[in-house]
Amino acid sequence: MRTIGFKLIRLVIVVLVVTFICFWLLKLSPEDLVDKIIPVGSEAAKNKMRSDIGLNDGFFVQYWHWLSHFFTGNLGYSYLSETGRTPVGESVRQSLPISLELMLGAQILALVVAIPFGVVTAYRAGSKFDGASNSVAFGMLALPSYVLGFVLLLYVGAKWKLLPTAAPAIDSFSLNPLDNWRYMLMPVISLAVGQIAIYMRLLRSDMIATLQEDFVTTAKSKGIPDRRVLFRHALRPSSLTLLTVAGLNVGALIGGALVIEQVFSIPGIGSKLAQSILTNQLVAVQSYVAVIAIFYVVLNFFVDIAYSYLDPRIRHARAAA
Amino acid sequence: MPEQPRSETEDIVRSLATDERRRDVPPDEASLYLAAAEAGAAPHEGAARERLGLGAWLALIWLGALITAALLAPWLPIPDPKNDKAAPALFSHGPTLAHLFGLDGIGRDVFSQTIWAARNSLFIGFVSIVIGFLIGGMFGLLGGYFRGRTGAVLGGTTDILLAFPPLVLALTIVAVFDQGLLQVTIALAIVSIPILARITRASTLTWSDREFVLAARAQGGKHPRLMFREILPNVLPAMFSIALLGIAVVIVAEGGLAILGAGVGPGTLTWGTMIAAGQSELRTAPHIVLFPCVMIFLTVLSLNYVGDVVRKRFDVRESGL
Repeated sequence: MRTIGFKLIRLVIVVLVVTFICFWLLKLSPEDLVDKIIPVGSEAAKNKMRSDIGLNDGFFVQYWHWLSHFFTGNLGYSYLSETGRTPVGESVRQSLPISLELMLGAQILALVVAIPFGVVTAYRAGSKFDGASNSVAFGMLALPSYVLGFVLLLYVGAKWKLLPTAAPAIDSFSLNPLDNWRYMLMPVISLAVGQIAIYMRLLRSDMIATLQEDFVTTAKSKGIPDRRVLFRHALRPSSLTLLTVAGLNVGALIGGALVIEQVFSIPGIGSKLAQSILTNQLVAVQSYVAVIAIFYVVLNFFVDIAYSYLDPRIRHARAAA
Repeated sequence: MPEQPRSETEDIVRSLATDERRRDVPPDEASLYLAAAEAGAAPHEGAARERLGLGAWLALIWLGALITAALLAPWLPIPDPKNDKAAPALFSHGPTLAHLFGLDGIGRDVFSQTIWAARNSLFIGFVSIVIGFLIGGMFGLLGGYFRGRTGAVLGGTTDILLAFPPLVLALTIVAVFDQGLLQVTIALAIVSIPILARITRASTLTWSDREFVLAARAQGGKHPRLMFREILPNVLPAMFSIALLGIAVVIVAEGGLAILGAGVGPGTLTWGTMIAAGQSELRTAPHIVLFPCVMIFLTVLSLNYVGDVVRKRFDVRESGL
């Protein structure tokens, strides 16, 4: 319990620091913020924006306003439309679930493919199958997700017409995976391929070491079938390494998802972010980035908790060794 | 020195810095895992190869040819990449003998664009990793060597930067400071600093405990000598292989930034901007996007391969433990 409390305090500190950096980065902008965001707007619109952000207040007062608004769900505005402003919070609520589905789908697909391949290549280390899958995995590591995305888009989408090449706009985009899988399948595959390679190679090397341990020999000598030894006995310790790396890897996954959304025009948070960058909506950029960063930090917190929950003994074992 | 009771805040600072409580696998080991996994090699397999294989030669030849072509681009007999010379009928035309990679939407030669883009893409990759290593490596070396308060402060600083998903931080920086070659290079350098610092720190930790360092200290060696003459030469080979991987990661990230609209901007040719510009014509003129994609893939593959060979030759884990 003490460790969870400790981790919570840590989480709060990190969230504060992260939001502060998000806020501070915008202040570093060399140009005048208002002119950059509304270059052709009327003076009235500019004044409206100044009062929205509280640009006339002191630095820490502004930060406090921004932070308290942020955590009460007011994420600022996008000043794109001629008539005024659209709230960023609303678009986060709409787009975030789509991005989550994309990332979760990719993560699940990656594990579903990587675990059997990793286990079998470790079991048959040195075989032709092992060599071939390692070469394929090496190639997959060098394949940026967006490159694969373009290839899929071109062949599966445009040439063979198996799947639609463009997703509908956010208002008509169904959040139900059973409805939207036709739009999500190619992005999920593009995003998963790099992860598959990482997990597979990692699991393989980890399992090769595990398979030499005494408890595996014991299990085998008891007459337990190989398949059961591999997936029940030997896989368990490796799952912790897998979890660690999956946690560390979420940062890369988020970055990949943002780009992939843009490639496949999936109306997730990445597309929204890109759109805001394109139109210089820096207040919106700031809020999107803060949301993504907090999501990342909180996710790492849960990975952390899951880790100590799964095996509290390892720390002591490793400390003793 | 006697163990002194520590306050809660000290605990937090310490944990922010060293992250020892965060996961049961020490995080530095975990980041080594991840680095090695991304490098495409099993972390525990360290058998040094006697000779360079065919793959390594192919990778070196590709990189050599690419770097030569990029450096000599102004003197090569290739059309001006920014000058539109072809007849309008040939706009977006696919590959021909006269134009090996075809023409883009306004009649410019795609082959000469890829060569000129290689200059900037390689520049971004190389320079940002060099900056990242000068700063991050110094952080890591100092943090791994001085484990007390200095280490805690340095570790805390890098950890804060690590709380952002890397690509998200980079694109925020570019969005705030505007597009440009310099901005992208610096943004990617900043993003790489904490990652490289972590890896350097992990490597420094394993080396600074070795007997020869102790021996040098017993002979009266001062801190700078121990760090730069004893530890650094041993850390460098592993760092070199990580640097090669880092360049690959940065080249891919540049493409991602360009797709998200936070790249070097449309005026400067990189593989990323070529992809971003050709994206809208993927269906009608796929060669405009696919050739830079192929360049990225082959370059990343080669860098990973060479990095892997270097890493296996100087395996820090095998020789350090």
